[in-house]
Amino acid sequence: MFNVKRAPAPRSRSPKPDKHLSLRKYEATVGFLFLLPWLLGFLFFKLVPILAALGFSFTNFKMLEPEATRFIGLTNYLTFFKDSSAGASLFGSISYFLLSVPLEMVIALFLAAVFTSERLRGKRIMRTLFFMPSIIPAIAIFIIISGLIDVNNGWITRLFHLSQSTPLYSLFPIILSLWTIGPGFLIMLGAMQAVPKELYEAARVDGAGPINRFVSITVPMSSPAIFFSLVINMISAFGGVALLDRGLSYSQSLSPMESYITYQMFSFSNLGYASALAWIMFILVMVVTIILFRSARYWVHFPEESSDDEI
Amino acid sequence: MKSKSSLRRQSSTLTLRAWEFTGTALLTLFIWIFLLVFLSPLSYMVVTSLRSSDEFRDRSAPIYPAERLTYVYQGTTYQLYKVPTPDGVIHDWALVKPSRLSSQFIDPAHPEQGLIDWNGSWRSLDGVFHFRIYWDNYINIWKAVDYPHLFRNSLIIVVLSEIGILLSSIAVAYGFSRFRIPGGKFLFFLLIATIVIPDSITLVPSYVIFTRILPWNGTYYPLIVPAFFGSAIYIFLLRQNFRSIPRDLDEAAMLDGAGPLRTLISIIIPQAVPAIVTVALLHFFNTWNELRMASLYLAIRPDLQTMAFSAQAFPTYGFTPEVLQTGAVMLIAIPLVILFLSQRFFMQDMVVTGIEK
Repeated sequence: MFNVKRAPAPRSRSPKPDKHLSLRKYEATVGFLFLLPWLLGFLFFKLVPILAALGFSFTNFKMLEPEATRFIGLTNYLTFFKDSSAGASLFGSISYFLLSVPLEMVIALFLAAVFTSERLRGKRIMRTLFFMPSIIPAIAIFIIISGLIDVNNGWITRLFHLSQSTPLYSLFPIILSLWTIGPGFLIMLGAMQAVPKELYEAARVDGAGPINRFVSITVPMSSPAIFFSLVINMISAFGGVALLDRGLSYSQSLSPMESYITYQMFSFSNLGYASALAWIMFILVMVVTIILFRSARYWVHFPEESSDDEI
Repeated sequence: MKSKSSLRRQSSTLTLRAWEFTGTALLTLFIWIFLLVFLSPLSYMVVTSLRSSDEFRDRSAPIYPAERLTYVYQGTTYQLYKVPTPDGVIHDWALVKPSRLSSQFIDPAHPEQGLIDWNGSWRSLDGVFHFRIYWDNYINIWKAVDYPHLFRNSLIIVVLSEIGILLSSIAVAYGFSRFRIPGGKFLFFLLIATIVIPDSITLVPSYVIFTRILPWNGTYYPLIVPAFFGSAIYIFLLRQNFRSIPRDLDEAAMLDGAGPLRTLISIIIPQAVPAIVTVALLHFFNTWNELRMASLYLAIRPDLQTMAFSAQAFPTYGFTPEVLQTGAVMLIAIPLVILFLSQRFFMQDMVVTGIEK
C-alpha cells in the first residue's frame, strides 16, 4: 500500500520546485500588499515632499506668486551663511539638543534603575505618575510654568523671594524637556526588568556591588532600549514627533531652527528659503543620526536574532 | 550556649530585617519626594484653578485653597486678622477701622465689648483663612469656551485617525514580521530612516500639496488621511512585538487553510493586544494634543478647531490667571483620565530589542 502511494512521488518532483517558487512569489506578493499602505505613504508624504523641498530650495518660490518662481541656484544656501538669525536658530537647536537629551537620559536611566529595585513600593502608580507629564500638551505646560514663576503670585517666586524671574525663564525649556522623560523611562524600565535574575545572582556570588552590577550587567543588557530612548529623545529635541508629541505648533517649537523655518514660511511666504533651511536641518539630523548609529556598534549589544533572520 | 547563639542569630536577622525595612522606607520616601517635586507644577495648577480672584492676589493666603473669614458687625462685613496682644495671646479679631499706626478691631466672640484699640500696623497682620474650594472658575470657563463643540471636533479627528493608524500600522507590521519579500531588509531600513526625518523638511511641500494640489485647506483631511498610511515608529514597535510571537501558531493556522489576513486577525492580533493598545494610546495622546497640523490647516475654520488648538488662544482671551490655570486643567483632563484608566496595559509590553535588526 505504502509503496503504491509513494510511487508517484518521484514523478511529481519535477514540478515541485516550480510550485515552491510560486509559493515564494505568492508570499512576496501578499507581503508586499501588506506593506503597500506604508510604501504609498512613504512615497507621497515623505519622499516626494523631501525631493520637492530640495527642488524648492533652488528657487525663489513664493506662495502668493507661484508664476514668478525662478531657478536661482544656490542663492538660498548662500543667504543662510549671511543670515545671522538663521545661524543663531541653528545654534539654539543644537544647544537645546546637547543640553536636554543628556539630562533626560540620565534622569530616566536613574529612575528606571531605581524602579527595578524590589524595595520600592507602589511602583504601578508611580510609573504612571512619572509618565503623566509626558502627555501634557506644551501649551498647558506653558500656562502652568508661567503661573508658577509669576513675579507676583507664583509659588517659586514666593518660595525663594525672587523679584526678577528672568533666569527662571531661561530654565523653562529644560523643565519642559524633563517632563518628556516618560517614554524613554518606560522603555528602559521594560528592558531592565527583562534582564534574567540569574545574572545578578552570579555577579553577587562573585562579589560585585550594586554599582558594579548596574554598570556591567544592567546597562549592557538593556543597551538596545537605552539606544532606542536616545534616538526618540533626539528626534523630539530637534522638533520631530517620535513616540509622543508635545503638541507644539511650529511657530513655538522648542527647536529654534524649526520656529525660524515656519517664520520664514508664513511671515514672508518665502518658501524657497524655508525649504533650503529645512534641508540644512535635515542634513544636520541625518549627521547626528549616523553618528549615533555608528557609536551604537561600540556600546549597544544587539541580541543574536533567531534563525528566521532572513525576513 | 545553644540558646545564646540562636538568640544572636535571631537578633542578627532582626537587625537585617530592620535594615531592609529602613532601606525600603528610605528609598520609597526619596522617590516619592522626587515625584512630589516633579509634579509640583501640576499641584500649583489645580490649587490655583480652585481659588477665587481675590484669594489668588492675596499674598498671605495659605498654599491650599482657602477663603478669608469675615464677620458682620452692624450690617457691614469685616475681615478677620490674627492680632497679637501684649499678653502673648493671638486673637482672631475683625478689622473695623484700619489706620496706619493703630487700628480698631472687634472681637467676634464678644461683640458686646465694642471696639478694641490696637497699636501697630495692621498691614503686617496675617488674615484668618479656612479651607474652601472655589468652583466658579470652572463654571466661568465652561460658559466662555464652547467645550462640547471642541470636544466633538477633537473626538472626530481622534476616532478617524485612530482607525486609520491601527489598520495600516498593524497590516504593515505584519508584512514586515512574517513575509519574505525581496528587498525587505532595505525597506525596513527605509522605515527606520523615516522615523528620524524631521517634520520641518516635509512641511513646505505638504502644505503646497494639501492646499494647492488638493483642496484640503480648512478640512480635517490633512489631519486624518496621513494616518491611513501608517506611522514608522508604530510599525517598528508592532513589528518587534509580532516577531516575539511564536510562529508555530500561525503555521498551524495556515495548514488549517487560513489565509494571511485570517491568520493576522485570529492569531497575531489577539496575542499582541497590549502592544496594540499601547500604540493606540500613544496615537490618542498625540492626536489629542496635536497642534502643528491643526494650526496650519484649521486656522481658517474656527468652527472646526480642536481642544488643543483653542487653548493656544487662551493667553489672548484676557482670562485672569486663575481661569487660565482652569483652562489648563480642562485641556489635560481627558488625556489624564485615559492614561489612568489604561495604566494596566500601557507600555507594559514594550520591550525594545535591536533597532537595527
